[in-house]
Amino acid sequence: MTTKNPLHESGISRRDLLQLGAGGLGLGLLGGIGPVPPVLAQASRSVAANPTAKILVVFEWFGGNDGLNTIVPYGDPLYYRHRPTIGIKEADVLKIDAQFGWHKSMLAMKHLYDEGKVAIVHGVGYDQPSFSHFTSISFWHTGAPNSGNEYGWVGRTASSLDPAGARANMIVNISAAQTLAVKGDTHVPLVFVDPMTFQRGVFAQEKAVLDALGANDAPVGEAHRYVLQVTKSAAQASEVVRAAWSRYREKANPDLRLLDLDKVAALIEADFPTQLYYVPLRGSLFDTHVNQAAPHDRQLQYCADAIEGFFAEMQRIGRADDVVMYVHSEFGRRVPENTSLGTDHGTAQVNFVIGNAVKGGMYGKPPSLSELVLGDNLQSTTDFRRVYATLIAEWLGADAVKVLGQPFDTLGLIKA
Amino acid sequence: MTTHTHWSPGPAAWQDDLSPLPASEWTLDRAAHLLAHAGFGGTAEDVQALADAGLERAVESLVHYERIPNPHMQPFVESGLWDPSLTSFPDSRPDATDRAEKDGASMGVDVKPAGNRPVQPVSDRFFYWLRATMLETRRLGYWWANRMLQTTHPVEQKMALLWHGHFATHENKVRDYRKMHQQIALFERGATGNLRDLTIEVAKNPAMLYFLDAQYNVKGAPNENFAREVMELFTMGVGNYTEKDVRECARAFTGWYFDDLAFKVDPDKHDTGTKTFLGRSGDFDGVEVLEIIFEQPVTAEYLAAKIYRFLVRDELSPALRTKLGTVLREADYEVKPLLTAILTSKDFYSAASYGGHIKGPVEHMVAMLKHLGVATMPGVPDFNQSTIAMGQNLLNPPSVAGWAGGKAWITPGLLITRGNVARDVLIPDMTGFRDWNFSAGTDDVLGQRLRDGYDIGAATAVNDPANMATFDRVALERDEKFNTRISGYIGWEQAARNLIPTPRDAARFDLTAMVLTSGATTTAEAVDYLTGRMLRVPAATAMREALIAFLTKELGTDSLERAKSYMEDALRMTAHLVMSTPEYQIV
Repeated sequence: MTTKNPLHESGISRRDLLQLGAGGLGLGLLGGIGPVPPVLAQASRSVAANPTAKILVVFEWFGGNDGLNTIVPYGDPLYYRHRPTIGIKEADVLKIDAQFGWHKSMLAMKHLYDEGKVAIVHGVGYDQPSFSHFTSISFWHTGAPNSGNEYGWVGRTASSLDPAGARANMIVNISAAQTLAVKGDTHVPLVFVDPMTFQRGVFAQEKAVLDALGANDAPVGEAHRYVLQVTKSAAQASEVVRAAWSRYREKANPDLRLLDLDKVAALIEADFPTQLYYVPLRGSLFDTHVNQAAPHDRQLQYCADAIEGFFAEMQRIGRADDVVMYVHSEFGRRVPENTSLGTDHGTAQVNFVIGNAVKGGMYGKPPSLSELVLGDNLQSTTDFRRVYATLIAEWLGADAVKVLGQPFDTLGLIKA
Repeated sequence: MTTHTHWSPGPAAWQDDLSPLPASEWTLDRAAHLLAHAGFGGTAEDVQALADAGLERAVESLVHYERIPNPHMQPFVESGLWDPSLTSFPDSRPDATDRAEKDGASMGVDVKPAGNRPVQPVSDRFFYWLRATMLETRRLGYWWANRMLQTTHPVEQKMALLWHGHFATHENKVRDYRKMHQQIALFERGATGNLRDLTIEVAKNPAMLYFLDAQYNVKGAPNENFAREVMELFTMGVGNYTEKDVRECARAFTGWYFDDLAFKVDPDKHDTGTKTFLGRSGDFDGVEVLEIIFEQPVTAEYLAAKIYRFLVRDELSPALRTKLGTVLREADYEVKPLLTAILTSKDFYSAASYGGHIKGPVEHMVAMLKHLGVATMPGVPDFNQSTIAMGQNLLNPPSVAGWAGGKAWITPGLLITRGNVARDVLIPDMTGFRDWNFSAGTDDVLGQRLRDGYDIGAATAVNDPANMATFDRVALERDEKFNTRISGYIGWEQAARNLIPTPRDAARFDLTAMVLTSGATTTAEAVDYLTGRMLRVPAATAMREALIAFLTKELGTDSLERAKSYMEDALRMTAHLVMSTPEYQIV
């Protein structure tokens, strides 16, 4: 992991950049993409007004991560009885205590854990769990299990932090389609995967007209005002995102590259005013029904390395104290292994909360491996909305009761 | 100042006023406003016909559409992917294979008597149907969208679309396009009928029964899923009932289930005991609790507001909400009187209702084609891919809460995508298009490996075994009961083999003829004609000037007479730019 600061290399400090940006300097000399007008100024001013804003990065491991083969209960003989073939051998476990240890591929997470920066939350789930990827993830996205909400929990958190919706680019969602979790009624999430294709598809000769698209300063009403605002912010955001990305020097970092955390790091380095980042893993890479070991080993390693690499980037950028990451899936997996050396859809899972601000350790009651429910499944012990409430209230300082519609006990895993 | 010379929103004082618009206030522009909101917009000729009819007859022809012939409605032609062995489709692949191991067969497919992967045919069968129903559902969505485009009853289709998002179920969970088809037919049939009747029919609809877990709602162990949603999302909204009401309501629905496409009640599983629900007591069944729900004034307000927001504008005052609820309740939940009241009201033609509604992606797609005078939904671009990219997957709403609608339709990325979809319609990429219905997606690599002679173990390895590091050389070909990864691929192949292809033709229209027929002779008049035809809110002067400059430059002249032999693509680009404006996203 390199710690070289590209801005220092260019001879310009971050402070200079802010000042220059506020003065309307083009980015050309930094990123080589030609003049970038007032958009940078806007992004920079926003952060200058709120320089210590806390940031939450939700890293969603879609597909149904096998929690039992992630934080391995190697001290429980029942674990090996349920998983005679694909259970992680004691010799391969990176031990935490006499009962639990990290999967061997998660050395990077073990490093962070040993530094006291990782909270492991056991048994996270909800009552009457769904075994469908899509149904269950919609429950997690809305924070409304076996119910519904038209907005997502991250979108509602943004509304609680900034009820007037005054702050631009409050939410960034690295995804091809908008994740339900970020849908809100006050903030327009910035949704993209490839910064370089987050732009209008136009023929060369049409480009001259694009500037006039949002050129209407007399909206006829609220809906019109809103689409005009988004038209302008779309043009600006697509430009500023591409500018931030062009400037980012860690694009070749293999730890980050595969899992989209590099885009988050790039925007944080560019002082985006974003407080809420949502990064769902693409593909159902954790859906390990068949020959689980090889793909799961690899996937856990990629993810663990990416997380450690991401926090090394935060350290380099100088924002490590301001960023907390939350990792969850839509469900865990069945306790007994299946006939194809894999595991099927299950219930409770293990979650991680990571960052300098986190009080490291284990939280939540580990589910019993003897008293299985709903056909060989773990009984969840921690409602996932308790973790949400913790992040919303303890970390971001927002109103968790308002966001979640009811009170949940927080877990006390953020340092005071 | 504006490009839209006849634009005539009523005064702000009309807002919230449900009294009828005087006949003398009826204009061509207001007819266009009516068609854009009540339906999907239309051609200049459609608008002129409504204008000529006068307000009262115009609204009547839209709302009481039954007497108007609808010659282009074709039945859905099934590919024939379903057969009766799929009637009780397993909930999951493990269910399917476990059942097969126990019984020797599942879904009409036997376990092999000997050899490696004896349960593979069953696993393949499971994935076959997952893929088949998904692919057929895409065809169903395309078919429905085509109905929206071709119907002479736009209100019927618009309201069916509303009920689909209101009583939301998705094929992802239902896993049976036939049940989704049956449900759309219900929404079309009940589009503007009685809302109490519609809700009762929805409660008995197999897709809904499955979607909200009716099969788990039995006497002694009620499942509250449907009971909660029927009150929270379908009729009253949160805060108007207690948790006790939810439990009691669930008891009333116990024993309701479905057998394939038929509604059934199992008397042995129905709780006949006394329920206390919303202050009333009795041995209620599901229909009776729904009737009690429809006695609540809040239900009329909740549903009337939902209709209003879908058709007119996203924001409405509490006072208007109360008035609309009263209209619906006094009509005993008949929708047509409410629609007539809304569409003839001063409020509907007030300034607040002009540009107050953000078009949903499906509505937007249909409206684009209507504006271009296209008679049939094109195959390029693909309807489903286009609307999914814009944020709406027809027949797969994201959750039981449906689509949030309103501002949630627009993000920077989605707005840019709307413009990009408009380009794909206007200037389709005919040579670059690939039909996603005949792709296994990320499983395509498996097909290639099998055809290259890899065994199943090697074909399903995560990396290509030919280039694999030793680290990955774990358990390639091996003994196992089945391999689900290969089933995923085979499922695509088997389903696609029998799938009726979607015609992949471009949208057919002729902007040159359209513009010349309008009488336009200059590029400025062409721009004014196109914007007038497409926009319900005028674009800014700067945009008009930029468009005129663009078209003049592209044509090398401002004379349409001089450019008429070659101006089609330049007009199409102009239309693309018009459809990319913020103003085009609202009506």
